[in-house]
Amino acid sequence: MASGCDRVVVVGVDDSAHSYHALETALDLFFVPFKSNPQFKLVVIHARPTATSVLGFAGPGTVDIIPMVEQDLDKTASLVKKKCAEVCSAKSVEIMSSEVIEGDPRNIMLEGAERHHASVLVLGSHGYGAVKRVFLGSVSDYLAHHAHCSVMIVKKPKAKHTSTDKH
Amino acid sequence: METYVDAIGAGDTAATTTTSGAGDTAAKMMETATAAKPIKKKLKVMVAIDESKNSFYALEWAVEHLRDVISAEPETNQEGGLLTLVHVHPTYLQYIYPTGGTDSVPESMRKAREENTTKLFTRALEICRGKMVKTETMIIEGDAKEMICQAVEQTHVDLLVVGSRGLGMIKRALLGSVSDYCAQHAKCPILIVRPPKETSTSKQ
Repeated sequence: MASGCDRVVVVGVDDSAHSYHALETALDLFFVPFKSNPQFKLVVIHARPTATSVLGFAGPGTVDIIPMVEQDLDKTASLVKKKCAEVCSAKSVEIMSSEVIEGDPRNIMLEGAERHHASVLVLGSHGYGAVKRVFLGSVSDYLAHHAHCSVMIVKKPKAKHTSTDKH
Repeated sequence: METYVDAIGAGDTAATTTTSGAGDTAAKMMETATAAKPIKKKLKVMVAIDESKNSFYALEWAVEHLRDVISAEPETNQEGGLLTLVHVHPTYLQYIYPTGGTDSVPESMRKAREENTTKLFTRALEICRGKMVKTETMIIEGDAKEMICQAVEQTHVDLLVVGSRGLGMIKRALLGSVSDYCAQHAKCPILIVRPPKETSTSKQ
């Protein structure tokens, strides 16, 4: 088995249960079986939304809220980073690089995959229905079409009739 | 026993980079390693193939990258997982010859189709040969995307691997994309394998 050049697996996470599930699936598939001779390197990218994208259009008084939103987003981002580190160390997998980048998740993931020359890009999928997909846009859809590497989309198995977290 | 020693080695390096107290974590990891090894099950992977080059590339990719996850390990006496190759026939034949005067034409078409499928699977099995992977094949008739998702449900596979035809946006909307549909509807994680770029240096 060619272990000369380690291949890179890039996992995209946001702060949702779906992406942590995707991260665990990626670990189980690409890292845990190879404990003795790692075949892949792990890169975790968290796309942090900008404060302006979260707030929508600017109205009166939003200027004051922006620093608070920024702070909140920063807190979320570091929480995500820590949680990923926990998940990975629980399976004793070493993270080669954990990044938090601000901006649009689609471009961030695309660029991240290019930059690290990823072999596989792993994403969770929110499991939006057809209508939501059109309006909200699906990052996993976009990346499945535009990424230059293989894309793995992991869906969290839906529990029956408890769709309270469908967002 | 060597595998366990390696695990501890890896654990040490991981522990020192993240937290202190490496000794404790290493010991704990050894326990989990010994406990986890026998229960770890190998995966069931399904690969969808048609005549396109991309799906064969997807199969090769899957066999190469997932080999260790699927194949049996004689040293630890672990049972291998399963690799299922599924090919879906479109059922267009019925519509062309509603009432045939003779049965010979649909018959020959059916035979040609069977030959095609056999050739397809021969090629596919060539790729899987010698990799110590238990392979089985499945032929289904019907609409490709729905049948693949159904097959996933019925066989409870852990991972579905498909190639991507690389259709542009417009063709995708008009012709429909199997990988798109499966990405949305399959009950298991799906891995969409893209062919390497021909022009620039391929990173795979």
